[in-house]
Amino acid sequence: MKRHEVLVIGAGPAGLSAAIEAAKNGMDVAVFDENARPGGQLFKQIHKFFGSKEHHAKERGFNIGKDLLKEARDLGVKVYLDATVMGIYYDKEILVNHNGEVDHFKGDTIVIATGAAENMVSFKGWDKPGVIGAGAAQALMNLQGVQPGEKILMVGSGNVGLVVSFQLLQAGCQVAAVIDAAPRVGGYGVHASKVARTGVPFYMKHTVVEALGEDKVEGAVIAEVDDHFQPIPGTEKTLDVDTICIAVGLSPMSQLADNAGCEMKFLPKKGGNVPVVNEYNETSMDGIFCCGDVAGIEEASSAMLQGKIAGSTASYKNGYIDEDEWQQSVEKYRASLEQLRTGMFAPQNKGRTDMTETDEGIPLSKSLLAKGYVTDEELAEFPACSTKVSGVHPVIECTQNIPCDPCQDACKFGCIKVGSNISKLPVINPEATCTGCGMCIASCSGQAIFLVNEDYEDGFATVALPYEFLPLPQAGDKGKALDRSGKPVCDAEIVSVKSSKVMDMTNILTMKVPVEYAGTARFYRA
Amino acid sequence: MRIAQHPILGTYEKGQKVHFTLDGQDMVGYEGESIAAALHAAGVMTHRYTAKQHKPRGIFCAIGRCTDCVMIVDGQPNVRTCITELKEGMNIQTQYGVETKEAWEAKNK
Ligand SMILES: Cc1cc2nc3c(=O)[nH]c(=O)nc-3n(C[C@H](O)[C@H](O)[C@H](O)COP(=O)(O)OP(=O)(O)OC[C@H]3O[C@@H](n4cnc5c(N)ncnc54)[C@H](O)[C@@H]3O)c2cc1C
Ligand code: SF4
Ligand code: SF4
Ligand code: FES
Repeated sequence: MKRHEVLVIGAGPAGLSAAIEAAKNGMDVAVFDENARPGGQLFKQIHKFFGSKEHHAKERGFNIGKDLLKEARDLGVKVYLDATVMGIYYDKEILVNHNGEVDHFKGDTIVIATGAAENMVSFKGWDKPGVIGAGAAQALMNLQGVQPGEKILMVGSGNVGLVVSFQLLQAGCQVAAVIDAAPRVGGYGVHASKVARTGVPFYMKHTVVEALGEDKVEGAVIAEVDDHFQPIPGTEKTLDVDTICIAVGLSPMSQLADNAGCEMKFLPKKGGNVPVVNEYNETSMDGIFCCGDVAGIEEASSAMLQGKIAGSTASYKNGYIDEDEWQQSVEKYRASLEQLRTGMFAPQNKGRTDMTETDEGIPLSKSLLAKGYVTDEELAEFPACSTKVSGVHPVIECTQNIPCDPCQDACKFGCIKVGSNISKLPVINPEATCTGCGMCIASCSGQAIFLVNEDYEDGFATVALPYEFLPLPQAGDKGKALDRSGKPVCDAEIVSVKSSKVMDMTNILTMKVPVEYAGTARFYRA
Repeated sequence: MRIAQHPILGTYEKGQKVHFTLDGQDMVGYEGESIAAALHAAGVMTHRYTAKQHKPRGIFCAIGRCTDCVMIVDGQPNVRTCITELKEGMNIQTQYGVETKEAWEAKNK
């Protein structure tokens, strides 16, 4: 039997953060992960994260994963991969299947950070090759470099469905539609909008009724659903797809905690059966902690903070830090966690459908919830989209209260302000002068910022937009400008393409369009 | 299809080109990638047929949980191809129930 003071189960953001915190305080820590690659969900996330600087906002998920892993290794944390923890036994002993061999480990503290498993839906033909989970799609394209399919139907409009749809487009696949049985897009509006503006249709109140094809998916039948989520006969539509990707939610993988004897509770807002934890993420069992998605589906940013709180508490309980140090660190992490748990998508607001306006009192876009994009009329209500300034200026199409503020940090010229409550909508300071540097565009995790110059030349305006696709257009290229719904609206000419290291793979395309389209042209297609 | 160039990830780090067989046919892939990824890149969708209803199954979770992707690898059945690395010379067979096509056909004649 091997011994480590802290045994962490799961090398995702929660587990790695708990390990780092405990190791920093001098504890001897081992992390186990059933995967061959550590990092949990992070290595599949290639988009820029939300939050504030302290939450690693605007960094891409896989880079956060690399940093965490390096930090853990530098601190001497032992990471066991291909190591599935099969059970937790009396007196902090765990049973591990490591590379096919069963081993016992004993610790003083156990941190369960096993994350979540994907939910499934069944429909006719759901078990055919070609019906895959969203996680599988991500693993294939982002880890293995293989397209999951050519034409894909995305089932589910939560953040996972939206983010994976965008990633599929980046991998060169076509997304035939994003559908959801719910009447409203479930994920962030900004995630939906960046998918919608490329021309992907959204069908809310729709479900998939059948996967067509003999030995593999050769089409999908979708239909509208009634208020009881039953397909309405006669509303069926057949989509030409070869892959159906399922993203209908996650459930905490809490079996280990349950088996260990931790008190459990079924909490729909947390995504299912979760261990009851106190304010330090400790379960009902002394010395067993649970953090991250396993304790309630949230985000990587909050998983990391929960991990740190658990790591700090374990350090205190085992005499590695004194009470003051412990309280101070926990206070700091908790304040940071509170910042993230604000806004309309906060855990306490999960499932709410009664919100009609933003914290600022602006009517929420109905079109965004139904179709994935905001209409011109709705946008006019948002000051950051309608501030009139001459010359080049930012237009910020970020219309929901989400915990995010990289745009504010990005502008060194004081043009953009979010304030200390990071869920407030960004506003534009009309007094400050925009230099057109583009840093706000590249920093915006939601790809929601554009630079517009109505005074570019007689009869023409320029619109600068974030672009993360290949092939990258070149200055002088001519094509079409698409509006927010992805519909071609006018001719466009690329006048400049900016890429730089600080922009971290987000390119800025500036296109010239007839001035009357300055407010509608939001994407470019060659 | 393989993604030659990705807008965020650039080119994928691949190991050496390796040769393997699927049901006796010559195939190529890259060392270090999963067997399932190499097959998917080659357009192979069916990994096995279920025992009772003889229905095709392919990649579903890609993280080793669902067992839909199991195949016979070098004679060993029930290998989860989505988390098993491809190696030079591997002999991979579509799995019928828990055995090879030949064994299955002999029984179900
Ligand atoms: C498409 C998508 C987009 C996302 N976008 C964002 C975003 O923009 N911002 C954000 O903050 N978050 C985002 N998230 C959420 C974020 O990825 C998760 O909330 C976060 O990864 C949870 O961290 P975790 O450490 O709790 O679990 P995970 O990352 O899931 O890690 C759990 C680990 O535990 C291992 N494990 C499980 N059981 C065992 C066992 N028995 N033995 C050994 N190991 C085990 C697993 O292999 C896994 O590696 C996104 C998620 C998805 C799917
Ligand atoms: S383009 Fe530059 S100066 Fe203008 S708002 Fe954005 S960051 Fe500020
Ligand atoms: S505009 Fe600001 S707050 Fe909105 S998504 Fe972009 S960076 Fe975040
Ligand atoms: S696809 Fe699920 S185990 Fe391989």
